[in-house]
Order: sequence, then C-alpha cells, then structure tokens
Amino acid sequence: MSVKGKSKAIWIQRILLYAALSIIGLLVMFPFIWMISTAFKVKGYALKFQLFPHNLNDLQTMFTIRNFIDVWQGMEFSMYFLNSMFVAGMAAFFATFFASLAGYAFAKKDFWAKEKIYYLLLSTMMIPGMMYMIPQFVIVVKLGWYNTYKAMIIPHLASVFGVLLLRQFIETIPESLLEAARIDGASEWQIFRKVIVPLAFPVIATLFLMTFLFHWSNFLWQLVVSDPGLTRNIRTLPVGLALFRGPHGNEWELMMAASCFSILPIAVLFWFAQRFFIEGMTQGAVKE
Amino acid sequence: MNTAFARKLKENSTAFSFLFPFLAVFSLFLIFPIVYSLYLSLCEKSGYSIAGLKFVGLKNYQALFKDAEFWWSLLMTFYYALLTIPAGIFLSLMLALLLNNRLPGKLFFRSVFFLPNVLDLLVVGIIWKLLYTSGGLVVTAMQYLGFGMEGGILGNPWTALPGIALAMVLKGSGFGMILFLAALQNIPESVFEAAEIDGATGFECFRHITLPLLRPIMLFMIITGTMAALNTFTEIYAMTDNGGPVVLFGKHTLGATKLTGYYLFSKWENHQYGYAAAMSYVLLVVTVAISLFNSWLLRRKD
Repeated sequence: MSVKGKSKAIWIQRILLYAALSIIGLLVMFPFIWMISTAFKVKGYALKFQLFPHNLNDLQTMFTIRNFIDVWQGMEFSMYFLNSMFVAGMAAFFATFFASLAGYAFAKKDFWAKEKIYYLLLSTMMIPGMMYMIPQFVIVVKLGWYNTYKAMIIPHLASVFGVLLLRQFIETIPESLLEAARIDGASEWQIFRKVIVPLAFPVIATLFLMTFLFHWSNFLWQLVVSDPGLTRNIRTLPVGLALFRGPHGNEWELMMAASCFSILPIAVLFWFAQRFFIEGMTQGAVKE
Repeated sequence: MNTAFARKLKENSTAFSFLFPFLAVFSLFLIFPIVYSLYLSLCEKSGYSIAGLKFVGLKNYQALFKDAEFWWSLLMTFYYALLTIPAGIFLSLMLALLLNNRLPGKLFFRSVFFLPNVLDLLVVGIIWKLLYTSGGLVVTAMQYLGFGMEGGILGNPWTALPGIALAMVLKGSGFGMILFLAALQNIPESVFEAAEIDGATGFECFRHITLPLLRPIMLFMIITGTMAALNTFTEIYAMTDNGGPVVLFGKHTLGATKLTGYYLFSKWENHQYGYAAAMSYVLLVVTVAISLFNSWLLRRKD
C-alpha cells in the first residue's frame, strides 16, 4: 500500500473510532443531559417531548429557572445541601486524619500485635457494608446519637482502606529523612506534621476526596439514623431528595432540579481533580 | 530496667498514641458490631423504645430458614449479579479496547466514561426512573418501535430488574475500563510483534495473548460484583417502591426487585432488628463462602 493510502486508512479508522466513542459517550452521559434538560422545563412538561420548539410558546415551556429557585429556597434544598457539605466535609477530614496517623504508625513503628491488628483490619474489608447496618444502628441509638450529625459521621471515621493506602505510601519515605528530623530534636508529632504530611499530601488529598464522595452519597446510613418526622434541620441532600419524592413523586421537573444540586458540584470537582479520583478509586483493585 | 526494654516501651506508646483515634472508632464500629450482631440475632424487639430487646434464642434463625421471601431475595440477588457482571465486563472491556491507542482526545473520553462512577447512586436511580416511567422517554421510544410497555419498564416484573441492571452497568463500566486499560498497557508491544511475525491475525492475538492476561481483572470484577450485588440497596430504593412489581409464586407474594439488601432494609423499617441481624449473619456466611470459593479458584488458576 502506498504511504498516502495508508494514511487514508488510518484516518478512516480514526473516524470510525471517534464515532463509536461518541455514541457510547452520549449513551453514558444521556441520563445527566436528560436531568438538566428536564430541570429547565416548565411544571407539567417533563413527559412532553419535543426535539425542536415550533414557536416561541414551545420555547417558553422548555426553558425556565423557576424549578431551581423553588427547590433551593421554598423546599429547603439549600439547607440539605449545606448539611451534606458539613457531614461529608467533617467525616472526610477526620477519617483522613485518623487514617494518616494510623498509616504512619503501621509504616514506621514497631508495636505489640502489629501483624495481628493488621490482619484484623484486612478481614473487616471482606464484610459487606450492609451487614453493619443493624448493629451500628442499635449502637448509635443506645449511645443517644439517633437524629444527630454525630450518628452520621462518627461510625464511619475508621477508614481501613485509607490506612492501607497511607501505609503503603509512607513506607516508601526513607527512614533517613525521619532520622535527620529526630536528630534536629523534632518530636514524633512534629515529624508527622512537617515531614510525613507534606510528602504524603497527594495520597492524603486522594483519600480526602474518596471519603468526601463516599459520605456525599452515603444515603442508606443517613436515612437510617435520622427520623423523617423530626430531623429536617440535619437532613442531607440524598435523604431530602428521597423524602421529597413521596409527596412530589410526579413533579419530575422539581426533582430533576433538586438532583442537579447533588450531581453538578461533584461532576465539576471530578473534572478538576480527576487524577485523584481515578487513582484513588482504582488503587485497591490494581494492587491485586 | 534495661534500655532496650525502655526503648521498646516508648516505641509502643508513641505507636499506640498515633493509632488510638483510628483504633477507637475501628473497635467500636467495625469489630464490636460483628459480635454484637450475633447477640442481636438472638433477640427480638420488645417494648416501645427503639432498641428495647428481649432474648429469644434461635427463633429468628428458625423463622429465616422457613422464610420464602428471604430465599427469593437471595435468588434475585444472584440473578442481579448475573445481569450486571457479564454485561459490565463486556462493556468495560470494549471501552478499554477502543481507548487502548494513541488517539488524540483519548483522555477526554476516558473521563466521560468514568464520570458517572462518582455521581450519587440515589440521584442516578431517580433519573433512570424518569426515563423508565410510563410516558417517559425510553418507554415512549419503545412504544414508537412497537413494544408496548404497560406501567413502564419498572412496573413489569420481567423488565424491572434488567432495567435497573442496564442503568447500573452504564453507570459503572468506566471503572472496569480503567482496570482493563492499565492491564492492556502492561502488555509489551514485542509480544504482539512476535505473534504477527508468526502470522497470527488480530483476533488470534486478542484471543490467545490479550484475553488470558486480562483474566485476573475479570475475576476481580466477578468477586467485587458479587459483593456489590449483596450490598445492593440504593438503586432499588430509588427506582421501585416496596421491592418492585408483585410476583405471585404459589401462595407467596414476592417483589421482583426485592434483593437481600432491600429485604434487610424492609425488616429494619418494621423494627425487626433481631430478624434483620440474623439475616445479616446468614448473608455474612454466604459472602465468606463466596470469597473463599473465589480465592480457591484464583489459586487453582495460578
């Protein structure tokens, strides 16, 4: 084949590849496109399809920002949004902090029953989360934490995955660096703050994003520990949306507008920090 | 006191002070519940307080083994695993193969396919419910093509669970794609060049070189997929009410989308904490059995 013919074949191959990728990409993204377009429709128009507006009147039924205003102000989704931010932010901060401390101890310290404790950690990873729901719920109720932020946050502050991740990274930090700091008179805490944390920062950031994401979507647990009748003021976004569905199940335009408040911030965050997300989420798997 | 012992003591005390916050939460909320759950499974709720309990022995387990709804939910869970895992592996592998090249804009597509993985499961479920509802886009399109769908995709016992599975496969396939891509990029070019010199066709290369090397990832996806099926709750809760369209089986009224996770939740909702704890324990045994079987499989293959 001539050089020209070959480059032409490559171009055809590329165009086919782009076509296939675009079709699958559209299919994967379609629900979210549909969510946004429905959120902009006038009430009662969610199930009326029209690809192109025929006249000005049609256009007006396809574009309004009324739903966003209603949901954000009238239906307290602003409060749910802030609650979700608070719960996910606090949980992510403390879970990451605790995991970093423990990861440092596992990586650089020698202590009693170290291997046994480590195996205990590993074995809890095999237990599906659903199995923890009942005992954790009863414990939370007995502690008097039912219907509080504490109940949503504290039971999930021990991130075993985080400890494994941090241990693995901190082990690669040379001992000589810590020894040098020790000779300079640094305390253990200072070594952790001034040496370990800055060096492990990318891993810590990854873990923070992972745990934030987990708590942003930790619907079942947040539903279980809050009484629907009592806890409007600590309700999180997914729980708010689920309970909103009851009385407003057919008002799809409002539900989609509310959904945007959960989806769009995470999508934007993902787009700017995707390296951390993808690495963090697939880390455990690739190591198998 | 000798100095070696003193040093050891000091090392231990610093180590445990770093470990303390993690271990405190870990023991109270991840270790203690395993034991506590066993105790709960031998109790039932009594009185008006949320967590008032009374010891009843093995009653919950006896009832559970006779509970047709429980066995049904286990069956549906494996059906769901069967619907999601092969389709998930197929789509992820296809995406990875499409992106295993030096195409400009490759990273953009990779991000697009991965993005749905990070989005809230409940919300994604609700969006799909809108698409699947009668009068919704998918149902309207199917009617247009001549497939009538009374009550929407989620209102029909035959299509409800496959419909949910399709939504979840589309949401999750970007994850497997990343795993496959990493593995594909680890295969040295020289292997393919050698095969080509020996006259192997593209398909033969794929069949005899690529596929065997991807096997560990497929196995990993089967294991995590099974675990995920046993954990499935949110998408079911988002898309169907009370465990989905009714299925009549003998004298039993069953739900077409009532997987174990949802059934467990419904028991919690009825304040049957002891019963739900017994169910958790049986499911735990099932999970451990599956994990052991899988690791045996993995070792045999090596």
